[in-house]
Amino acid sequence: MMRGGGFRIYAFFYLAFLYAPIILLPIFAFNDATVIAFPLNGFTTKWFDKLWTEPALHAALLNSLIIALCTSVLATALGVFAARASTRYIFPAKAGIMGMIMLPLVLPEIILAVALLVVLLGLGVPLSILTVIAGHVLVCTPFAIAILSASFQSLDKSLEEAAYDLGETPLSTFRLIILPLVMPGIISSLLITFTISLDEFIMAFFLAGTETTLPVYIFSQFRFPQAVPVIMALGTILVLLSITLLTIAEYYRRRGIARTGGKDTGGFL
Amino acid sequence: MTSDASTMIEFQDVHKYYGDYHALRGITATIRAGEFFSLLGPSGCGKTTLLRTIAGFEGISSGVVMIDGKSMASVPANQRPTNMVFQSYAIFPHLSVEENVGFGLRKDPRSVAEKSRAVTDALEMVGLHGFGTRAAHALSGGQRQRVALARALILKPKVLLLDEPLSALDKKMREQMQMELIKLQRQVGITFILVTHDQEEALVMSDRIAVMFEGEIAQLADPETLYRRPNSRKVADFIGTMNFLPAVVLSEQGGRVEVEAQGFGHVTLDAGQITGAAGAGGSVVGFRPETLTILFEGQTATDRESMAVVEEVVYYGDMTYYDIRLDGTDKPMRLSMRNVFGRPVLDIGTRTRVAWSPGALVLFR
Repeated sequence: MMRGGGFRIYAFFYLAFLYAPIILLPIFAFNDATVIAFPLNGFTTKWFDKLWTEPALHAALLNSLIIALCTSVLATALGVFAARASTRYIFPAKAGIMGMIMLPLVLPEIILAVALLVVLLGLGVPLSILTVIAGHVLVCTPFAIAILSASFQSLDKSLEEAAYDLGETPLSTFRLIILPLVMPGIISSLLITFTISLDEFIMAFFLAGTETTLPVYIFSQFRFPQAVPVIMALGTILVLLSITLLTIAEYYRRRGIARTGGKDTGGFL
Repeated sequence: MTSDASTMIEFQDVHKYYGDYHALRGITATIRAGEFFSLLGPSGCGKTTLLRTIAGFEGISSGVVMIDGKSMASVPANQRPTNMVFQSYAIFPHLSVEENVGFGLRKDPRSVAEKSRAVTDALEMVGLHGFGTRAAHALSGGQRQRVALARALILKPKVLLLDEPLSALDKKMREQMQMELIKLQRQVGITFILVTHDQEEALVMSDRIAVMFEGEIAQLADPETLYRRPNSRKVADFIGTMNFLPAVVLSEQGGRVEVEAQGFGHVTLDAGQITGAAGAGGSVVGFRPETLTILFEGQTATDRESMAVVEEVVYYGDMTYYDIRLDGTDKPMRLSMRNVFGRPVLDIGTRTRVAWSPGALVLFR
């Protein structure tokens, strides 16, 4: 037996456990049977066709896209401010404040969702996709800050001073020097927060009111056995979309670090 | 304070606090137009802070900084007639070489063609002809340095500020850049202010040097005065090597001082040789290693002569450094000799005659 053979077997089972279920998605999405079981029953694309004729699905998808778009833009914008502040300025209770901002990353999301729901109902705010966006921004901002801090950290402070020294104002320095150099980080942050928002379930389930988002729709469809292959088809598309977005995000993150001559300290991928 | 046409920068009692930390403690000095001026000192002495108060990156707590006769109190960094070469060079990594060099011309009303010619000229001046379209991040350390210089000089500032610009280069490259910077400064005639912790670099490049310790200027003088007549033991220790021997002042008359110095005996020193404070430990006479000379067979001293024992020999190729102990002293002194073909290097333990001159001594008391 090779050295480390035990670990190889462990690694194999670990990866199999992680990815085998995802590989099953496309298999059953193209399987011509309503029952999710082997043996397979022949190839079909009818489950994908069915996706086009579900108005409830389209409404949920539209909601999810609106929410994800708004969330990613808001969370990234907030992240830019926070990352800039945390990497460039020294202010009282900085560590504490940054810790509080990053806390949603590790807090149980269901606690956050319930607490938000109680407060919103108490204030009499009607539940809608706006409240979902608020919840998602809360969850996504720490991710944005984590990604953007790396970008801002690798910026040499003297680059800003040099631009200022050469006659630029703080504002034009930000536009001409800082923004182009952190742009890969911003794109990466937009894509990752978009992906997180798109498949977030708990917040959306609690805060959407009568609206539905895609994950909530998927969950609700599992009550109907005949809908399961359609969900498999939908899942296949979502997995491909997520992988694509995350790959692009990682590409930009790495390019950003290479461009500013920084050292890669590890990202999400 | 008076200022005339030849004054470019004037500090009047400049203080700077970071919280409780007193970084600049009453700096008063003038820097002349067109001179190569160095701020020299160990790290943490405030030299970079002082440079940054000229650029406008640091505010001052009290006092006045004047550039070309105008107070800079309310002038922000982007409107000062100064440009800076940063220690890290601060080349914009997302721009090409010519975009970097031309960066400061963005608001210049000249035509695109004229600006482009200015960029070409600036690159030519720093020896980077034909590098315009290269990506900035693909340059070597020395090339980045040149881009940073071109970028700063293209704006024709009244003062060019250089923050330890050579510290990241290797020794050969550094020496080459030192010579190029001196030539460049003569060529453009702009006031250069260099921050460095390297005393040799300051001596080589500067017209005048301000030696700084703990937020204060300890001595401001030309390199030769600084080397020959340091005004305190601390400055003497920081600039090159200086030997010290205990001394007792016997009498003082008309500026001339009679001194009994260990190892040298009775010497008379001029007013100009009494340079400064001894600090703790009492009066001493100081002398540089090259002012003592070993006398070989048949040579005679032109001035005074003493006996000594060789205790250590360090051979450097062109030079030999000896640690010798003069008769009547209890610690070795550093002596340097230029090696001459055919003349032996002495062994440890050799007794030898050494020549010296009272004129090369300085007294700290």
